[in-house]
Amino acid sequence: MTKMLTDARSIRIKGRSFLAVVLAPDLPFDDWLVRLDDLAARSAGFFLGRPVVLDVTDLPIDRAQLKELITELAGRNVNIMGIEGGRPSILGQGMPPALKGGRPVSDEAVAKEPIIELRNSEPKPSAPEARPTLQSIVIRDPVRSGQSVIFPEGDVTIIGSVASGAEIIAGGSIHIYGTLRGRAMAGSLGNASARIFCRKLEAELLAIDGIYKMADDMAPGLRGHSVQLWLEGDSIMAEKLI
Amino acid sequence: MGKVIVVTSGKGGVGKTTSTAALGAALAQRNERVVVVDFDVGLRNLDLVMGAERRVVYDLINVIQGEAKLSQALIRDKRLETLFLLPASQTRDKDNLTPEGVERVITELRRVFDWVICDSPAGIESGATLAMRHADMAVVVTNPEVSSVRDSDRIIGLLDSKTLKAERGERMEKHLLLTRYDANRAERGDMLKVEDVLEILSIPLIGIIPESMDVLRASNIGSPVTLADARSAPAMAYFEAARRLAGEVLPITVPGEKRGIFGKIFARRAA
Amino acid sequence: MTIFNLFRKQRSAPTARERLQVLLAHERSSNGSDLVSVLREEILAVIAKHVQVDSDKVQVKMDRDEDVTILEIDVEIPLDAVSQAA
Repeated sequence: MTKMLTDARSIRIKGRSFLAVVLAPDLPFDDWLVRLDDLAARSAGFFLGRPVVLDVTDLPIDRAQLKELITELAGRNVNIMGIEGGRPSILGQGMPPALKGGRPVSDEAVAKEPIIELRNSEPKPSAPEARPTLQSIVIRDPVRSGQSVIFPEGDVTIIGSVASGAEIIAGGSIHIYGTLRGRAMAGSLGNASARIFCRKLEAELLAIDGIYKMADDMAPGLRGHSVQLWLEGDSIMAEKLI
Repeated sequence: MGKVIVVTSGKGGVGKTTSTAALGAALAQRNERVVVVDFDVGLRNLDLVMGAERRVVYDLINVIQGEAKLSQALIRDKRLETLFLLPASQTRDKDNLTPEGVERVITELRRVFDWVICDSPAGIESGATLAMRHADMAVVVTNPEVSSVRDSDRIIGLLDSKTLKAERGERMEKHLLLTRYDANRAERGDMLKVEDVLEILSIPLIGIIPESMDVLRASNIGSPVTLADARSAPAMAYFEAARRLAGEVLPITVPGEKRGIFGKIFARRAA
Repeated sequence: MTIFNLFRKQRSAPTARERLQVLLAHERSSNGSDLVSVLREEILAVIAKHVQVDSDKVQVKMDRDEDVTILEIDVEIPLDAVSQAA
């Protein structure tokens, strides 16, 4: 059955990043839980309402042990939202989903008082003003079919073309000094001011801040031209660059 | 130390095996020691195109598994003293093609031959990645047609990431060989232009092989086209490509065009 | 390429057919247990029983035809190996 689409509004699909506390238990779990209880007694409610990720990288445990640990933690009001570094054999149905690609952050970003030992917790001179640093990467080669460039931290600049079947995903804007034949998704973590620039537009798909445009929806007059694209409200605007 | 070349494309049926045989023979016709290696385990065809199918005793898998010495598996061409074939196995499972075994065989071949030309299977599975793994340079065989161009682009990406050269941070030398080029269709505008393919793939061109009856005839009689009819248009194009592989700088001949018009593409290539 | 080129050279399709027939007949009959390779291994085993042979000095050649297959095994037997066996 095909449903009639009467609502012209598009569905917004967005990527967002959240900070999560990562707990990396060690064996035996009983001893570790005792230490955790001791910690929790000293700062009550630390885990309450926080997303917690369990890091089980390199732990020689089986599925039953993992399940038991999760139950133990749930009993302490620690709810696991995902598991990092778990072999597929110990994950699965009824388990929190596997997470990968996590990056460590500084202590102060997670806890107001540094009571939990987080990874990458070397003492950092606290800057007087925590200003997010703008980041960008430059890729000097053509991006080939089947390759993806994913850079949620900021802008991506490609010196060369992006082939059909390749994709660029940037947290910020995308600049392509070549032909864009593949897919480009700018502002992927929710950034409505991100833009896409390319020297020649032949794209399969464009997206800014979760608003998508397929090849068929693009104005035919733009094909083959130097184009910049941006977002106004819920629609992608485009204009030729000279 | 010899050079190892992989002839690859991603897509099947574009002319990898024909090109391996023709380039191998063309280099051997320059009196260089050449071995062509079939990596298509289970679907070997290089022996047929080389006309050696009745003389296969041992194959690459036998050598890898230690059941035969390399010298026993190599088949010397009946027409050219310096041309050899290392056939693939037709009956064995392709899982027998191990990375360690391939490395040992290639290292040994590199010591004995000036050119080791590996005929890659189609696809991007282990057979194809093993065939490219030890290469010093790659010949990317492409037809002027959209799906072939896209698959070639994918293969170029793999050449830049999955080979030993790439892992060492070195640059893999890649060459585009455009095959099954139809001058009539090009003239009518029904085929991707050479310039378009070059712009999309952005790797240097080493030759344009015209679509020709001579190629079919050569494979029918089991002879590389450069041996079957050295004066034919495809043979001439393969000879030129072989000279470019050996490092000579020559202007590209486009089938059906007079020389000179191609100054443009040549200039782009040098840029 | 003109139509006259078709007459210039001998037709190649009959050659292709004949080559494929011979090849496929062998591949179908062999079914993994190739008689020639069995013979090859057994002959080599018999020789190895009597003389120590350097496997580098063994050349095995084969030529298949429509009606016959020629298996040629060339073994270099060193003189001292012969005297030992005698």
